[in-house]
Amino acid sequence: MSILKRLDELVPGQGGRIASISPCGNLRRRLMEMGLVIGSELMVIRVAPAGDPVEVLLRGYSLALRKNEAKQLILEVDAA
Amino acid sequence: MSEYAENLRSAFAQRRYERIASIVDSTVIKGRGEIFTLTDMLDQVFLNKHLGIPIFLTVLWTMFQFAFAVSEPFVVIIEKIFEMLGAWSGQAISDPHLASFVSLGIFGGLGSVLVFIPPIFGLFLALSVLEDSGYMARAAFVMDRFMYRLGLHGRSFIPLMIGFGCNVPAIMATRSMDSEKDRMITMLINPLISCSARLPVYVLIAGALFGAAYAGTAIFAVYALGIVLAVATALIFRRTLFRGEPSPFVLELPPYAVPDASSSILHMWSRGRMFLKKAGTIIFGMTIIVWFLSTHPWEETSGGQVIAESYIAWIGHAIEPVFQPFGWDWMAAVALLFGLVAKEVVVGTYGVLLGAEEAGLGEALVSQELFTPLTGFAFMAFVLIYVPCVATIGAIAKETNSWRWPAFALVYQTALAFIVSGVIIAAGRLVGLS
Repeated sequence: MSILKRLDELVPGQGGRIASISPCGNLRRRLMEMGLVIGSELMVIRVAPAGDPVEVLLRGYSLALRKNEAKQLILEVDAA
Repeated sequence: MSEYAENLRSAFAQRRYERIASIVDSTVIKGRGEIFTLTDMLDQVFLNKHLGIPIFLTVLWTMFQFAFAVSEPFVVIIEKIFEMLGAWSGQAISDPHLASFVSLGIFGGLGSVLVFIPPIFGLFLALSVLEDSGYMARAAFVMDRFMYRLGLHGRSFIPLMIGFGCNVPAIMATRSMDSEKDRMITMLINPLISCSARLPVYVLIAGALFGAAYAGTAIFAVYALGIVLAVATALIFRRTLFRGEPSPFVLELPPYAVPDASSSILHMWSRGRMFLKKAGTIIFGMTIIVWFLSTHPWEETSGGQVIAESYIAWIGHAIEPVFQPFGWDWMAAVALLFGLVAKEVVVGTYGVLLGAEEAGLGEALVSQELFTPLTGFAFMAFVLIYVPCVATIGAIAKETNSWRWPAFALVYQTALAFIVSGVIIAAGRLVGLS
């Protein structure tokens, strides 16, 4: 059983699989080119000291993105 | 870009990563699940909720300490060598005209420029080491929130940092930014970040007028003023010239690595080279012009002895009225005029005008009562803000591929300098300072 959540709603330690990416052209492409494509698994590692951006672990590398960008990513999260 | 092209590129990215995943799945055998790497450990500390920002500030402070401490002995050596060469050539050459040219024009000029090379290279070395170690990306991560509030981007931060060394490589470093608007704002506010060429001017004025006890505070205040003005200008530009949101922040945080000595030195060199080029051509050429204007006409100045009769004094007296309301005399006017070329020339110009060595310059300023603490501080602020140097204007022209933006930078900064110095003087007089 899994539920859908926006990436910016997750806390460090939580993760999931990307289900969809909000369709706003330029940003969507940039996110996808950095490896944030539909189906990839990621996990939130930490939030920056000032509360934004967030660091996620994706395919073994670390990526930092602002909550504004994280909002565009809808994840399938295991409901536990 | 059309929507169709965007979708196409998104689709390519999707397929590419799917393909990568399938290849990795069928070929790579993964070890035991979660390994706590050194990078994880370091990030636990460097990006810690409470420690992250203090550590970042400490790193920044250490970087400047390192740059200035490491370069100090080299500065002393360069000063001594050129002092000796100047004195020797002054005596060895019998023709007084030629002796003055070689000793004061060439060696004096070269010496005053070359002393800046060690601290600048020190700073660039520190920056290269930070970059190669992987910390720079973390710095952008830690600072992005603040930069975003200012209408900037985490990546604006590094060019702004480099600006403390020299604005020319700083403006070139904005190439790493992919949003045109973010990049333009970062470039245009960069000259307000006080580069190391301005430091000798502050050291001279503050050292002479505020004494050892308060000189540091006065210099710090000017740096802080520059940062505050840069922030305010960035906010204004974001609301007027370059409307819109800062571009998305998506940045890889690479694993930490021990910086490779040769690649760090190479990085340092490629950045420092630009300053060397500027020092060797524009600044050096200008110091020769300053020498010429201050020692000619040769007969009237008694062979460069009486500066009050020189061309430079005529020019100074002609533009003095503009600066009179600020309490600055014709020498300040001349120094500022030559500072257009490169701000460190302000110090050299005072050296020539007061006929004093760099070390005795502060005393000469005080004994001739050229500044009060108030007018001196306003002068420091003016030197901070007014026009970017010729090389910076050139860099903005090259990077924006137009003469419109450098002209804009020149106009807005000069206007800002008059306003800010005027406000400082007015506020000071209001509370009874002279």
